[in-house]
Amino acid sequence: MAMDLDNMLTKIKDKQWSLADIDWDAPGADTISPELHARLKPFMADLVWIENVGARGFAALARKAPNDTLKNIYLHFHAEEQKHANAELALMRRWGMLDGDEVPEPNVNVKLAIDWLDKYSDGMSLSFLGTVIPMLEVALDGALVKFIVDEISDPVCQEVFKNINSDESRHLAVGFEVLDILGHARTRKIVIELLGGWMNPALILGALMYVPLLNKMRDNIVAMGVNEERLYSAMRRFQSVGDRSTFVKRMPMYRIVSWHAGVVVNRKHPYHLFADGMVKATSHFPKRLLGPQPTWSKELTYEPVA
Amino acid sequence: MSTVKPLDVAIIGGGFAGIGAAIRLKQSGVTDFAILERGDEVGGTWRDNTYPGAACDIPSRLYSYSFAPNPDWSHTYSSSSEILGYIATMVDKFALLSYFRFSHTVTAVEFDEDAGIWRVSVDGHPTVTARTIVMASGPLANASLPAIRGIETYEGHKIHSARWDHDYDFTGKKVAVVGTGASAVQIVPKLVEQAASVKVFQRTPGWALPRVNLRTSERTKKLYRRFPATQTLARNAWFWGHESVALGVVWNTPLTRVVELVGKAHLRSQVKDPWLRRQLTPDFRAGCKRLLMTSDYYPALQKDNCTLVTWPIAKIAPKGIRTVEGIEHQFDCIVFATGFDVSKTGTPIPITGRGGRVLAEEWKTGARAYKSIAVSGYPNMYFTFGPNSGPGHSSALVYMAAQIDYLVEAITTVLDRNLKVLDVRQERQDEYNVDLQKRLDKTTWNSGCKSWYLTDDGFNSTMFPGFATQYANQLKSVELDDFTTVAMEPASQVRVPAGARAV
Repeated sequence: MAMDLDNMLTKIKDKQWSLADIDWDAPGADTISPELHARLKPFMADLVWIENVGARGFAALARKAPNDTLKNIYLHFHAEEQKHANAELALMRRWGMLDGDEVPEPNVNVKLAIDWLDKYSDGMSLSFLGTVIPMLEVALDGALVKFIVDEISDPVCQEVFKNINSDESRHLAVGFEVLDILGHARTRKIVIELLGGWMNPALILGALMYVPLLNKMRDNIVAMGVNEERLYSAMRRFQSVGDRSTFVKRMPMYRIVSWHAGVVVNRKHPYHLFADGMVKATSHFPKRLLGPQPTWSKELTYEPVA
Repeated sequence: MSTVKPLDVAIIGGGFAGIGAAIRLKQSGVTDFAILERGDEVGGTWRDNTYPGAACDIPSRLYSYSFAPNPDWSHTYSSSSEILGYIATMVDKFALLSYFRFSHTVTAVEFDEDAGIWRVSVDGHPTVTARTIVMASGPLANASLPAIRGIETYEGHKIHSARWDHDYDFTGKKVAVVGTGASAVQIVPKLVEQAASVKVFQRTPGWALPRVNLRTSERTKKLYRRFPATQTLARNAWFWGHESVALGVVWNTPLTRVVELVGKAHLRSQVKDPWLRRQLTPDFRAGCKRLLMTSDYYPALQKDNCTLVTWPIAKIAPKGIRTVEGIEHQFDCIVFATGFDVSKTGTPIPITGRGGRVLAEEWKTGARAYKSIAVSGYPNMYFTFGPNSGPGHSSALVYMAAQIDYLVEAITTVLDRNLKVLDVRQERQDEYNVDLQKRLDKTTWNSGCKSWYLTDDGFNSTMFPGFATQYANQLKSVELDDFTTVAMEPASQVRVPAGARAV
């Protein structure tokens, strides 16, 4: 049954939470062992930046929304992803992971993603953004967040991620609803959009940015001790939810992203020769070729009150 | 029931429209009227809107009555205090003060069909009766705080832009401004000069065009005084300049793109940061919402003590505003520049017409009138700034002057012919509205954005889809064919010729 987007928007507004609702000085910060602390720090930094990148993706989606309700929903999701990043940063601060209270630097793949999003995301189609963003949400948020909830007993962390999970469930529900709506289009329109999209050099660049970003994140996750099976199940979730709808399956972008997701988690697939090469290549990417860091990526804060 | 002889005219509201109507009535020889004003002073919207930086965004030469020209405007665009001064001068010059009944808040009006008079209920005063009514209560007269979650819990100071608290000292204070419309773009540049910090909460950015406000030299003023024709010439130049703007602002045409290009160039020249520029770039056609005329808003936003917040507001908490990115922004004071309660469905006060019909019921799905002035079933009553009389590109006073001349003609017709009823024909009103809505479909206002011009259902009952010249032309004369008339019984009063009646 089709989702009532107006009801969804009301629900989103009803479920708002704030960093100020959380007691960041509550006991439990010391439950992080020094060994976990060392492994968790880069992992959390990646997570913060992925949320920030996701936020920018939703900002681009808001520009493509076909109606005011969906636009408003995406504007909320944009802000909620930023909230997740802010809350995760506040957790890092609580655990003493910030050097001099500084926001951690994004890694080069995230920097490339930021640069690409800043330059091209507003020009991408709804079908492209609407497919890739749910995938990132499921794969990265889903796997990473699940890992944190399972491994870290700090009650403040549990409270934060309970809220984040609740938000993400709505992001995914809307994401798949939009894919379903897009899948109702005539075949001719779907094909034209696909071909037109891939003829855009920005999309090719985006794919070249996306491949090493995902592989780097996958490697970081595995190094962190996250069972690969967790990633598998997150990817399977993306596929199984999508495959439930005939209309989602009609979307070639969904098929491509879904196939790609399967390949990413299969470490034996020859694809990784290329992807790992890209990770290596991007690690040598000359920083001077990146534009100045956009203002939107400098707005993260761990302060609940401003 | 009142035994006092009914007035010829009751004017409800003592702002620009009420005063303009009074002047033209007097000039037509109608002097048996009263202006019922809820405040203690003249001035209407301009008396109420005294926030810092309050000014008109239409050039003063055009934002004044052609029948009351003012050679002394100090600048191209005038401040609220100067406009208020102009209003006071008109009241003096045309000796209108004695017609005012201050602190008279009208609570309802009802037409007595047998007697052919309107009964005007006034809070705390005896009912006023009048043969005709001018509803000059204004579209922007009422303002209330917006319905944001938790607004009632806020413990700091709250100010609405239309009810400014001049006793509040902003020096050193943390201030929020909610809203980024015509009032906000004037308030923010002033507040950043005084407050410790200002955060501006934006939901939708508007198209902003530069506002070049030049001082009028003494020599020019002298010229206008000595040769009034030069002032008329200047006014006409402004008028036709604005008429040409309609081609890009009223209708979605290639010229709309030109307006947008000017807006984008203005933004680019004043804002260097691409993300801030993106946040300030509208995603609707120029003209769909009111154009903002400002040259100092963008620079003010970029001052060190000012921040633009575009995150959606989640709720208002006791100490500030919580936005969806999870942060509570705390303030000493929140300024709500959130606009006015414009009646697009229903009426500001209960209006009962022939056979007990209630106008609010008929306007439930959107207000409709004949040529924006008269409503079938509600005889001898005339609206200024009624349904679909709003200009998107020109001065409200140009439209108002046309309305006033029309309603004065209608009123003198009622009085001179001793009519009990002068009621617009329903079919004429319906035909007019069918055509009007068809024409509105092609305008920028109906091109997809949400604005205060439209009802929640997207019905446009506020704007006139055309040039000011077209609007004025349709009101050139009262065609009796458009109305049904009922004469007073012979025993009833007949109008005393002009000049022979007591004031």
